[in-house]
Amino acid sequence: MAAQERSVRREHGEVIVEARNLAKTYRDFWGRSKKVALKPLDLEIRRGEIFGLLGPNGSGKTTTMKLLLGLIFPTSGEAFVFGKDATDVSKNERIGYLPEESYLYKFLDAEETLDFYGRLFDMPPDERKRRAAALIKRVGLERDRKRQLREYSKGMTRRIGVAQALINDPELVILDEPTSGLDPIGTREMKDLIIELREKGKTVIMSSHLLADVEDVCDRIAVLHQGELKELGRVDDLLRVTDVTQIRAKGLSAAATEEIREVLRRHGGEDVEIGNPRTTLEDLFLDVVRDTEARPGRRARQG
Amino acid sequence: MVLEEAIPKFSQWIGPAFLWYLFAASLVAVIAAAAAWLVQSAVYGPLQAGDRVYRGILSGVQDLAGMAPRRIWALARLAIQEALRRNVLVVLALFAILVLFAGWFLDPTSVNPGKLYLGFILTATNFLVCMVTLILSVFSLPADFKAKAIQTVTTKPVRTGEVVLGRMLGFSVVGTALLAVMGAVGWGFVVRSVQHGHELTAEDVIEIRSEDGTVTGYEGRTSLDRGHRHRIELSADGSGRTDHIQGHRHEIEAVTSGGKTGYRLTPPLGLLEARKPLRGTLRFLDRQGQASAKGISVGAEWSYRQYIEGGKLAAAIWTFEGVNAADFPDGLPLEMLVRVFRTHKGNIEKGIAGSVRVRNPTSGLQSDPRYFTAKEFTIDEWKVPLALSTTTTDGGTKQVDLYRDIVSDGKVEIVLQCLEPGQYFGVAQADFYIRSGNGSFAWNYLKSCLGIWFSMLLVTALGVMFSTFLAGPVALLATLSVVLVGLFREFIQRLFESQVTGDSTIAPGGGPIESFYRLVTQTSITLDLEQSPFVAAMKGIDTVLMAPMRLGAAIFPSLSSLGTGDFVSSGFDIPFDLILAHSAETFGYLLAFFIIGALCLRAREVAS
Repeated sequence: MAAQERSVRREHGEVIVEARNLAKTYRDFWGRSKKVALKPLDLEIRRGEIFGLLGPNGSGKTTTMKLLLGLIFPTSGEAFVFGKDATDVSKNERIGYLPEESYLYKFLDAEETLDFYGRLFDMPPDERKRRAAALIKRVGLERDRKRQLREYSKGMTRRIGVAQALINDPELVILDEPTSGLDPIGTREMKDLIIELREKGKTVIMSSHLLADVEDVCDRIAVLHQGELKELGRVDDLLRVTDVTQIRAKGLSAAATEEIREVLRRHGGEDVEIGNPRTTLEDLFLDVVRDTEARPGRRARQG
Repeated sequence: MVLEEAIPKFSQWIGPAFLWYLFAASLVAVIAAAAAWLVQSAVYGPLQAGDRVYRGILSGVQDLAGMAPRRIWALARLAIQEALRRNVLVVLALFAILVLFAGWFLDPTSVNPGKLYLGFILTATNFLVCMVTLILSVFSLPADFKAKAIQTVTTKPVRTGEVVLGRMLGFSVVGTALLAVMGAVGWGFVVRSVQHGHELTAEDVIEIRSEDGTVTGYEGRTSLDRGHRHRIELSADGSGRTDHIQGHRHEIEAVTSGGKTGYRLTPPLGLLEARKPLRGTLRFLDRQGQASAKGISVGAEWSYRQYIEGGKLAAAIWTFEGVNAADFPDGLPLEMLVRVFRTHKGNIEKGIAGSVRVRNPTSGLQSDPRYFTAKEFTIDEWKVPLALSTTTTDGGTKQVDLYRDIVSDGKVEIVLQCLEPGQYFGVAQADFYIRSGNGSFAWNYLKSCLGIWFSMLLVTALGVMFSTFLAGPVALLATLSVVLVGLFREFIQRLFESQVTGDSTIAPGGGPIESFYRLVTQTSITLDLEQSPFVAAMKGIDTVLMAPMRLGAAIFPSLSSLGTGDFVSSGFDIPFDLILAHSAETFGYLLAFFIIGALCLRAREVAS
């Protein structure tokens, strides 16, 4: 009865993904422990959020994803997706997965690739054709749709990888290092796509070791290190430095700035710093690219 | 043609075969579950291991139930595309080269060129088709694992059964297409290679006249074509036939045109045909005329043919059932293949004389003998006439009717004897038969291709099954090993029987250890080893080692038994009962390989 209630809560409530004491140890041929990839992990991911798995290489991000997808089996604990055991393939009807490197069949072209994966979802021909055409357009591969994937650049491969992950209009999208190997424009497009998915009500789980990517798009994150969960919470909450006050204003004179500094000093403020805020390098690069595309031939600004 | 065992009726075969299949499948399932539990127990402990194995089997069964045709076909299409990408069609060019070489090097003047050409084409087709699908099937899944493309497949709602079945289906389609092309090309090659005609003109024949000067017939020789010419014997009206050489003869008819007489020869008869034999059961009489379980062994290790001694009462007797006037209104078309074993040279030009008689199995009434000379490697024909003569007890001759006096309740006996003292006739049960009709050679050829198709399906399924848990090269070796054990199935069974019963005549040489010992010490397999504790221990170990080999031989498929090329090349119709049995056997193995493959893939971590 309790299991049934939990199942109902998982299915109709907020929780899409649930891990309980989920752990993975890789063993050698003789069953001896070789590497502890994931220490017991408790996790809940809710409907409609972008959840980031953050951590350095080898921290257990990909292992967690593979466990949730049923690609590997847990050593202990259990994982549920849409209320079903992670090894139950029927859950995959509602999941889209983009692996770290788009592991696709290189001898197929873009249309054949999407048609093949559409068939795996048992889609009727008309729907396959319609969805494939829409996705090819969405990821900008219309001109290259008849080229074999072996001829694709890394960015193009990534885009067709995203398209195959979305062929079934999934409720849950799992993206492993989605911006890995992409140029800044590709990275931005990928981030825009992830945010677009959230706006459509999808749940997204992504892993990355690129802090800026995670910070930009994730609602909640889990920080993993050496297979262990170190931090879990909302990005805003985790990044807020509660004992530091930042003042940002536009159009102040030098006198007004000195007056504010004096006020802060009077109230016991330490290491007072007021100055112009910095933009990120990513934003600067994108501004330059956009500016160059808008006005071709313009020389770079001298610093 | 060698036919070691009579072909049973499918309706009689299927019952016991199905029970044996259930037993073997249950045995394999129990052994596999026990092995899985043992492995899991080492890691998780016995209780959790039991739970895991139970859940694994349950989810595996659920997976099998949830398979969708569209997904299976998608994966099959992918396998076909993969095969084409690997330039699998190159094998057709290889086949074309083989056929070209065959055209140059196969001897059209051999004893039976039809058999030679057919044997070559069917063997080459079988080998190439099976090798191609084997290589495709064993390397496909491991390549997917290596490239990790399998991860994007198994994260879709794809059942492991669909992955396995899709691969099996896809590569089978490729193999079928290759077989169709090779079969058609092979057919054309064989037919064009053996078809020929001869010229016969009035100048080639001479008249045969009786003492009063009337023309009683003609004789002569045909033109030389395809490396041979025929002797001819014609009746007075100019019709007749050639002699039977190189597995065929021609019918001849005289044609008069513009006042000139010419002769027209039919295409070769007997080269590409599908005889439908009515076979009997064989028993022997020894030199005293007493019933004997076997004939004489003349020392050959392979005891397929038994021998009867010449100039004695020894005889080989076939009993045929189902003989009736409706099926054979003009008499019994008996066809015989008699082998000869000479203990002295004799007249080497003449051949060994023998006799054959028909006998009533109930009353013992028998016809007078029909004398013949054994032709060794050629089938001899004798149409047993409706009116036969028989010698009465007072030494007189009496005419009897075949169906009224000789055939009893549809049964008739054919008695063969060798007439020359010191010489022997060798026969097997399949060597004498009544020709009950002719099937279509084209249809027979197609049935033979069906046998190759069964082999290809099995090899493909085996390859895919092993590739679900082994790396490509290892899966290739495993598949070849199973095929090899299957090829020696009968031998291993005999060897085990010989080991257990201690009767070394069943299969001389002993098990693996004893064989190795004999190899090292250069001891002949026919020599009994001296009894000693060492030999006893060796034989004991062999018995233990032979048990799993015997089990494997009983369970693994025998590709050689699926091959029916010998029927076609020897000119015999492939019985429909045999085709049905082979298809049932193939389907049974395919089902087993599919289930094992699906469960193995289910138990495997796709991304480990």
